[in-house]
Amino acid sequence: LGRQLLLPHFVLTKACLKTQPLRWGLREQKKTVQPRTVLGFTQKTFWTQGPDPRKAKEDSSKQVSINRNQREETGVSTSQKVKEAGRDVTYLIVVLFGVSITGSLLYTIFKELFSSSSPNIIYGKALGKCRTHPEVISVFGEPVKGYGEMSRRGRRQHVSFTEYANNGLKRIRVKFYIEGSEPGKQGTVHAEVEENPRSGQFDFRYIFVDVAPKRSIVVEDNRFQQS
Amino acid sequence: MEEYAREPCPWRIVDDCGGAFTMGTIGGGIFQAFKGFRNSPVGVNHRLRGSLTAIKTRAPQLGGSFAVWGGLFSTIDCGMVQIRGKEDPWNSITSGALTGAILAARNGPVAMVGSAAMGGILLALIEGAGILLTRFASAQFPNGPQFAEDHSQLPSSQLPSSPFGDYRQYQ
Repeated sequence: LGRQLLLPHFVLTKACLKTQPLRWGLREQKKTVQPRTVLGFTQKTFWTQGPDPRKAKEDSSKQVSINRNQREETGVSTSQKVKEAGRDVTYLIVVLFGVSITGSLLYTIFKELFSSSSPNIIYGKALGKCRTHPEVISVFGEPVKGYGEMSRRGRRQHVSFTEYANNGLKRIRVKFYIEGSEPGKQGTVHAEVEENPRSGQFDFRYIFVDVAPKRSIVVEDNRFQQS
Repeated sequence: MEEYAREPCPWRIVDDCGGAFTMGTIGGGIFQAFKGFRNSPVGVNHRLRGSLTAIKTRAPQLGGSFAVWGGLFSTIDCGMVQIRGKEDPWNSITSGALTGAILAARNGPVAMVGSAAMGGILLALIEGAGILLTRFASAQFPNGPQFAEDHSQLPSSQLPSSPFGDYRQYQ
């Protein structure tokens, strides 16, 4: 339960993190205005240089003014390019950071929902078998409902599980709860799957239901065959 | 005492509605404080008054929007739990999509589809964050298998199957 207590706080912090892109967007709006003013200044500098060629009538003085214009242009444009490059790199880093976080979250949820070795899939299959087992139906009544561990906010969507290896084969043990239309009856379901080396799929080793106080219902037991 | 644990679903709707309102009001208050501060004339008194005015006018609206979203989401989620008879992350994602679609109904079907997609993706991200945090938290407290490899409740599984049928019952 201590682990589940951490969930809401971290989720809130995640929610706070998600508001940051808005702030970055605001900063972008601020910074886009600056180049225009900078361009305005550069235009002014060009205008101040304009009258010089008109005043000078000698050829040598004209050449000197042309050289000065070229030098100042290259200096201003180089500094602008450096600033723009730095800003672009900063924005790119921020975007990559956001995309990587979003990508990792989406990868996590897809792996949980679609991978054959995910606890959620095992939970779904085991619950399906429990629902069709006549002894389970007789004890709990129909329909049979299943849920995982209770979090602080009353959500029970994640089942507890543990993974370990035995003889080089991966095993996953899942625990969840079921109840039916009989009031006050609740069962704890323990299910374990083992990796099948030939097919790569995960096959059930056993599924059994603990009913208080001292009763167990065996839904499926394949340990004797495999071991 | 598991038998006396109350079913979370009906009460959770009210809890989630209040929680969403609180998040919206506090978050909106912080955001509007900065926005009002920056949008006010020069002067400390002017800025503080502008900040307070912005908070008073807009934070409750944002809180209300969050409350509507949270309440409807939780209602649909509890409905799905009742219908499916199973709690898993799919309930959250589907409820998020349906909530987005319903709240955008006045804007037409195209907007409904867009809002449904946004709601579903948002809830998928939230579920992903929850799963990641669960794994991270459990990784901080490493412990081997908490019980024996095979459960002691089933010692007779090694015995040959009994002639009384396929279903075994132990007391």
